[in-house]
Amino acid sequence: MMKSAFRLGAYAIVCLWIFALEPQGKSQTYQGKELVKAELLADTDAVVPGKPFTIGLRLRMAPGWHTYWKFSGDAGLPTEIKWNLPAGWRAGEIQWPIPLKTNDPGDIQTYGYQDEALLMQQITPPAKIGNSSVRLSADASWLVCEKICIPGNAKLYLDLPIASAGNPENQELFARWRRLLPQNLPEITSANWSRAGSDLRFSLTAPTLANYSTVAFFPLPPENTVVGHPKIESRSGNEIKFRIPIEAANKNLSSMEGLIVFGQQANGEDRAAWQIANGAIASNGGPTPAHGIFAFLFFGFLGGIILNLMPCVLPVISLKIFGFIQQAGQSRQKILRSGIAFAAGIFAWFIGLALLLIALKAAGHEITWGGFQFTNPYFVLSLGVIVLVFALNLFGVFEISLPQSATRGLLGWTGGQDEAGSFFQGVFATVLATPCTAPFLGTALGFAFAQSPAVILAMFVAIAAGMSAPYLLLCVQPAWLRFLPKPGPWMLHVKQFMGFLLLATLLFLLYVLGAQRGLEGAIWASCFLLMISIACWMKGAFFTPSASIRVRTIAALTMSILLLVSGVYLIGGKFRSANIASADSRLRSDWQAFTPERLRAELEQGHSVFVDFTAAWCLTCKFNEASVLESGVVREAFQHHAIVKLKADWTNGDPVITKLLQQFGRPGVPLYVLYPGKSEEPIVFPELLTKSMLLEKLETAARAVASQ
Amino acid sequence: MKRKTILTVVTSLVASAVFAFDPPPVGSAAPDFSLTDASGKTHSLSQYKGKTVVLEWFNPECPFVKKHYGSGNMQKLQEEYTSKGIVWLTIDSNAPGAEGNLSPEQAEKITTAWRTHQTALLLDPEGKVGRAYGAKNTPNMVVINPEGKIAYEGAIDSKATPNPADIPNSTNYVKAALDESLAGKPVSNPTTRPYGCSVKYKSS
Repeated sequence: MMKSAFRLGAYAIVCLWIFALEPQGKSQTYQGKELVKAELLADTDAVVPGKPFTIGLRLRMAPGWHTYWKFSGDAGLPTEIKWNLPAGWRAGEIQWPIPLKTNDPGDIQTYGYQDEALLMQQITPPAKIGNSSVRLSADASWLVCEKICIPGNAKLYLDLPIASAGNPENQELFARWRRLLPQNLPEITSANWSRAGSDLRFSLTAPTLANYSTVAFFPLPPENTVVGHPKIESRSGNEIKFRIPIEAANKNLSSMEGLIVFGQQANGEDRAAWQIANGAIASNGGPTPAHGIFAFLFFGFLGGIILNLMPCVLPVISLKIFGFIQQAGQSRQKILRSGIAFAAGIFAWFIGLALLLIALKAAGHEITWGGFQFTNPYFVLSLGVIVLVFALNLFGVFEISLPQSATRGLLGWTGGQDEAGSFFQGVFATVLATPCTAPFLGTALGFAFAQSPAVILAMFVAIAAGMSAPYLLLCVQPAWLRFLPKPGPWMLHVKQFMGFLLLATLLFLLYVLGAQRGLEGAIWASCFLLMISIACWMKGAFFTPSASIRVRTIAALTMSILLLVSGVYLIGGKFRSANIASADSRLRSDWQAFTPERLRAELEQGHSVFVDFTAAWCLTCKFNEASVLESGVVREAFQHHAIVKLKADWTNGDPVITKLLQQFGRPGVPLYVLYPGKSEEPIVFPELLTKSMLLEKLETAARAVASQ
Repeated sequence: MKRKTILTVVTSLVASAVFAFDPPPVGSAAPDFSLTDASGKTHSLSQYKGKTVVLEWFNPECPFVKKHYGSGNMQKLQEEYTSKGIVWLTIDSNAPGAEGNLSPEQAEKITTAWRTHQTALLLDPEGKVGRAYGAKNTPNMVVINPEGKIAYEGAIDSKATPNPADIPNSTNYVKAALDESLAGKPVSNPTTRPYGCSVKYKSS
């Protein structure tokens, strides 16, 4: 019957909808069939001046037909209401009830209402109304679809008397639809958004979530954001994680409004929802307490304190402590000033770094912690130079200048100004701390990078606060200096020993350079470092206050020429042109270099593929490779299941690999992914591999593929 | 060996069903296809390599499609750009029995009646091409550059309504993409949110 009706109407370009007047509403008919009845209804029988009440647009659809939610999904259009209210009257936003989610062939998902919908709006009348009744009129327009879609619209009105008191009206209807309005998130919920490449990730922990068998996220994307279908990444107990693919949007989109819809079955009558406000993390006093961010800021602070114990910073810190020891007898005010200057140096560096990151992010660069620094060989080289100079300084090759006597020397270049010296010491300590931050602050920073500029800044300030906390404390309570050992000759030995720690750091940096620029590159870089050492030695030997002006001038000239020439020749020439080490040279025989094409080809051929995303400077990667991936059992298992092993080398920050890492939501390496087959979801392993976990997954993946 | 062959066939079948729904991202290679038009003539994407190609998903019953044909907007675009050497392929991916599905005769009739100017109206009753492009709406627009890469995908214009009166006040994204593309510039707005009716695919 229906079908023949369609056939009759097929290819008719004209589209007719006729409205028949009804006592209280209008109906949309199409080819003689009534599709939608529209009417305005109030929750009161009279308007009381100044007292808000609710009007609902009730749409009743023919069986099988539906109208749409505020976000209609992959097709359709939301219903619109335009009010023509008398002067002084105000209408609130539409309160959209929780919609139903429909899936159609072709992976088409839409959100709408079947049978009936009541779209409520609060109407606020003015405090004084002259007339005895009022006519409230609105233009409503909608799209109603079954198999086909027909647009509809109606001019509707509602006459209400004005009185000093009103009685509730349409109670059952309004109660029924108010039950379907989304609620605010419960207080004890934690909600976190992060952006990972083209995906938004949203995790929610709420105390009652475990009670519901279905939980879904209905997105409310901003205009012109093309959003894919939200997927549940994981769900356990009261925690659920969603991945929301963004196909096109503003790059800075870091969260999205929407509903968390839950119930015992999808689209059930019992369904309920929580409203997710935009930027659940931002401190706009929204319904979500930002537990997440405070926890991360606390980690940042803790990480900052721990930074003081890292081998890269220890030497600087110990200098500062020696300073304190020597200051122990001095005026409290002086100690306080120097301590504050030191802390200011730390803050200055971290805030500068935060601003740089924010600027890069705003400029559209995808930033990652490791990628931001260690994939750049010049950054690694500069770090190496700083570390070396510092080590030589500690060895006594050139003058060690403690801040008090600081008239010359690396730390005292500011010419005797105590505070300025301390400030630069603070900056230095932090510069040296940077390579040590990744392992300790990785989680906190990874979180911060996906956030708004304010959060990034807050995170770096938290780290700076943590790092400077001990010194500020000592300044405020100089009495505690008593607990530090007395100054003496042992200080010299400790200092020299610190120098060796720095040389160890230098070895690691050279290893990274070797991985980036090959053996040749590392050697050229080492030559440059040698020149730097000679320059430092010259400074210590000839450029001394006791030397004559002539000697000092010659020394300064020679040093400058040495540095300039070696810099230009060794770094600008040799090092720059040193071949970028190809990943192949670092591959064991049975690993092959990763390319997306290679992966696709292997999967096409029906192979399972394991990809190791790694980098030479990544110590966790090295550990996993040595202890798990290259272990006998695991190698055998790979061979046994005929799994192709690909190695994706990110040492030089290959952009193709960066993109893939982002797709998996990782700020950097390591990442281990097993692709069981073309049609199956890849399995992602945690950062720290264990043999048993890997073997188990290889086994299940092999079985799953075999059973197809 | 034989098991492996079967495995490969099965996995690729499953794969084509699973992968098919995601639209290939802008900048990626446009999936090749081969479909027949109303007269039974075969058109494949690869035969138009070296030319800019527009794909337009079509359903003559859909109010959003009617908005652009009833007003003459779509025909005007087709005429303007086919005369500049652009290949314009209109595709009907609606399943037999569903609204908008066209038989070859019906397709012939509608192109005459509506005075359309596309290069060809292609019939995709199995929905394979529609799924390969992740086309979910009518109209859904795709622009493919001469290198065979997707340069634009999304809506025809900026006003998501079925009302023809909105056309003059809206930005036509396809026109913008084609003009930029013809001028050798990158498309400044390469992905937009498509609007319209859903494509009535055959259930798989």
